[in-house]
Amino acid sequence: MPFVLPECDKDVPERKKHIYLKDEKDEFAIPACNIATTPGDLTERGCTYAGCRGVVGGPVKDVIQLQHGPIGCCYYPWAARPHVATGTNFHLANAFSTDLRESNIVFGGEKKLYNSIVEASEAFPNAQGVFVYATCVAGLIGDDITAVAKRASKAIGKPVVAFNCPGFRGVSQSLGHHVGNQVLFDTIVGTEELEEKTPYDINLIGEYNIKGDDWLIVPLLESIGLRVVCTFTGDASIHDIAKMHAAKLNVIRCARSAKYIAEMMQEKYGTPFMEVDLYGITQTANDLRKVAQYFGLEEKAEEVITKELAEIKEELDFYREKLKGKKVMIYQGGPRSWHWPETMAELGVDVVVVATTFGHEDDYEKIVKRVKNGTLVIDNPNAPELEEAMLKYKPDLFISGTKEKYLSHKYGVPFLNGHTYESSGGYMVFKGLVRFARDMYKSLYSPSWKFVRTQETAAEAQ
Amino acid sequence: MVVINRTRSVTINPPKMCQPIGAIWASLGVHASVPLVHGSQGCSTYPRNLMCRHFREPVEVAITSLHEKATIFGGAPNLKQALTHIIKRQHPKLITVITTCLSETTGDDIHGIVKSFKAENPVYDDSTKIVTINTPSYVGTHVLGYDNAIKAMVSQLSEKTEPNGKINIIPGMLNPGDVLEVKHMLKEMGVEAIYLTDISRTLNAPLRLPKPHFPEGGTTTEEIADSANSLGTITLCKHEGQSGANVLKDKYGMPAFLGELPIGVEATEAFLGNVTQMTGKKMPESLRDERDLLVDAMVDASQLTFGVKVAIFGDPDIVLGLTRFAYELGMKPLHVLTTLENPQFAKDMQALDTDYGADAEKQNIIVGGDLYDLSQKIKETPVDLIIGDYKGKYISKDEGIPLVRVGFPQADRFGYQRKRMIGYRGSLDLLDTMVNTIMDRKDD
Ligand code: SF4
Repeated sequence: MPFVLPECDKDVPERKKHIYLKDEKDEFAIPACNIATTPGDLTERGCTYAGCRGVVGGPVKDVIQLQHGPIGCCYYPWAARPHVATGTNFHLANAFSTDLRESNIVFGGEKKLYNSIVEASEAFPNAQGVFVYATCVAGLIGDDITAVAKRASKAIGKPVVAFNCPGFRGVSQSLGHHVGNQVLFDTIVGTEELEEKTPYDINLIGEYNIKGDDWLIVPLLESIGLRVVCTFTGDASIHDIAKMHAAKLNVIRCARSAKYIAEMMQEKYGTPFMEVDLYGITQTANDLRKVAQYFGLEEKAEEVITKELAEIKEELDFYREKLKGKKVMIYQGGPRSWHWPETMAELGVDVVVVATTFGHEDDYEKIVKRVKNGTLVIDNPNAPELEEAMLKYKPDLFISGTKEKYLSHKYGVPFLNGHTYESSGGYMVFKGLVRFARDMYKSLYSPSWKFVRTQETAAEAQ
Repeated sequence: MVVINRTRSVTINPPKMCQPIGAIWASLGVHASVPLVHGSQGCSTYPRNLMCRHFREPVEVAITSLHEKATIFGGAPNLKQALTHIIKRQHPKLITVITTCLSETTGDDIHGIVKSFKAENPVYDDSTKIVTINTPSYVGTHVLGYDNAIKAMVSQLSEKTEPNGKINIIPGMLNPGDVLEVKHMLKEMGVEAIYLTDISRTLNAPLRLPKPHFPEGGTTTEEIADSANSLGTITLCKHEGQSGANVLKDKYGMPAFLGELPIGVEATEAFLGNVTQMTGKKMPESLRDERDLLVDAMVDASQLTFGVKVAIFGDPDIVLGLTRFAYELGMKPLHVLTTLENPQFAKDMQALDTDYGADAEKQNIIVGGDLYDLSQKIKETPVDLIIGDYKGKYISKDEGIPLVRVGFPQADRFGYQRKRMIGYRGSLDLLDTMVNTIMDRKDD
């Protein structure tokens, strides 16, 4: 049984292996994942470049983000993800491109790239380096961006980092994360020393400061006595990344996009790592205990947990009461899909459908382990599948990203943006949980839903 | 007046996108259509994301999912498989095959592939039309992508039968609010039109359950076929429609009026004049009222608008339209910028300048420029107002100059897509916004 083919896919049988209904008999079946999208799908996936530039490299706040290729790939991700930063919006306010034209496709774009790096760094002398990303065409015409970066770096006297991430490589944004990690590890990590070391230095890995998540997590970690050397890459300076090797421990938040760098650091520098969820009460508390234990800070951690929980209790109880028994459908990039089932359970919410855009096997292992029997698990769903799932599983709330929001509303299903959070501020750790619950409540209880009519009642009213 | 051509290699803060998004836009104005982007993942997802943010509506775009293998062996199998899946699963009336920099560089012959797809699938029954559109991202911008898409649609679908007494309107990349305004004006004139194409309802739909399989509205493929039988074609945006209008003119001998965007008094009058010329229908009293209401407001606001220095950027047609309107209001358009790499724009702008006898104050016309250029010019010669899309907000913040939002995209505003800026009523709305912005600033 456990694999199912939705009605809309009756002519696309290959989709069956991507869709799994969890049941007892076959508890650990994993949907097919991390393979190419079926041509013709209305998929939500992005490309390798999107993962490298949009997710991993883009949040670095003090470098010139230069895309090498035609203009579109520069325009679309420009400030599309709200990875905010302290003290600057340079990386969000500015977008740089070599804007390749037809003649460059014929004769090559290396010269234009070199000039672009030099000119951009002249225009912005305060930038601390240049990140160069290759998109499809640059990859196809075979420009040697690494060699150009090396020469240009000498000319401008600052690091120029080349990411070979054309969109056609790999099957989704996921490979782009890997490229981003690898390149930053090879070229930047370990190039600067930390002035003052403490025994409590850690890095926070795979955290991108979407709407200020960092600003919730870092103070919490600090409150138990730790110091965050670098957040990779939310709110990060290129100099922070250069000093990452000085940390005693790597704490991994998004394991899908950034575990790679933690693994490489373990191998080269012997830095151990730890995976955390940091969503919800139990997970956050356990994560804090786990990290604290490593440093012998258990007592402080318990103190902080008690205090933080007391602070949110009253408000959270209110929302719990309101959310109790609601059904939710979750569709996220990767890890949030397995971070959240437990968080939802804590709020009394039932997860009926879980899907990811670019999850790998290890993501699905965790999802399948964490959801209840009868939950539908979909890999890389397309629009008709999401529509069918909404009709069949009748969620009270759909949590996903911008592209699904308006579709959800057309099906009469309240929606919450879990990618970039529409409200002000992050959803992580204890304080963020309250905001998460409040935003769910706001979508669910909006009085505007009362006025939605069916085609028939609208016609009758005429 | 100074025409500035860029010499820099690097583009910093581009106010332009690539061809595929223009083609996707045009496709979504057709009823029951599925745009199919022939490329790798990002090229469908990125434009969708941006359009969802602007329109606040679902935007469905399919992808042929090209990866390494397809870059070496070609994307024909992917394209054929994609067509099969879309036809079987969604039963659309139209699929538009839209190329990208990737499939153009690898050299996939989409016309040939579609032809052989039809031959290999004898069951293919023509109830789903397939239009092929070449939109290499390294040529032109989204403006050309839209233009190419309309051209491809009329070239591949139009069919001469019986005269229909209608006129063809090519709106360009204007908002649903603007298309509705054109419909309003033509209704007042008593003129029927075929819109090539019409997003006014497909990307602006009332919420009623259950959701229709495809959004309601949009131009039907039959109407596109029928465009061959119209009295003539009017483009609202010259650069986003001239190719389609010219195809119809050359093929069927019908007139093509390559318009100036109807913003302000003169350009709207010219547009309505073209409609009259094509149909013989006169401008009714109701539209004359609208005109004179606009004039009433312009006169009322003259103390506030006269001499106001503005910077204008965006798509060529919008910039031309806005500049003319700014002149009509006695404003001084000191810096105008568009990304069109085409000397025509500078010429059109110069003509406008001469019309209004621009005074001693030097006007910068930045051709093929970017927002970094604009910010530098504004630093040299400050203005009171910036008019353009939402990316202008960074200059606005840095320089402390208010931004009046016009053009696509406005990803961080609510309801902009419903607003109108064309026709007498749209110009009046725009005037209100500008004047209130100026008043706000005076208040500070
Ligand atoms: S798939 Fe290629 S061309 Fe398309 S957005 Fe990604 S890198 Fe750019």
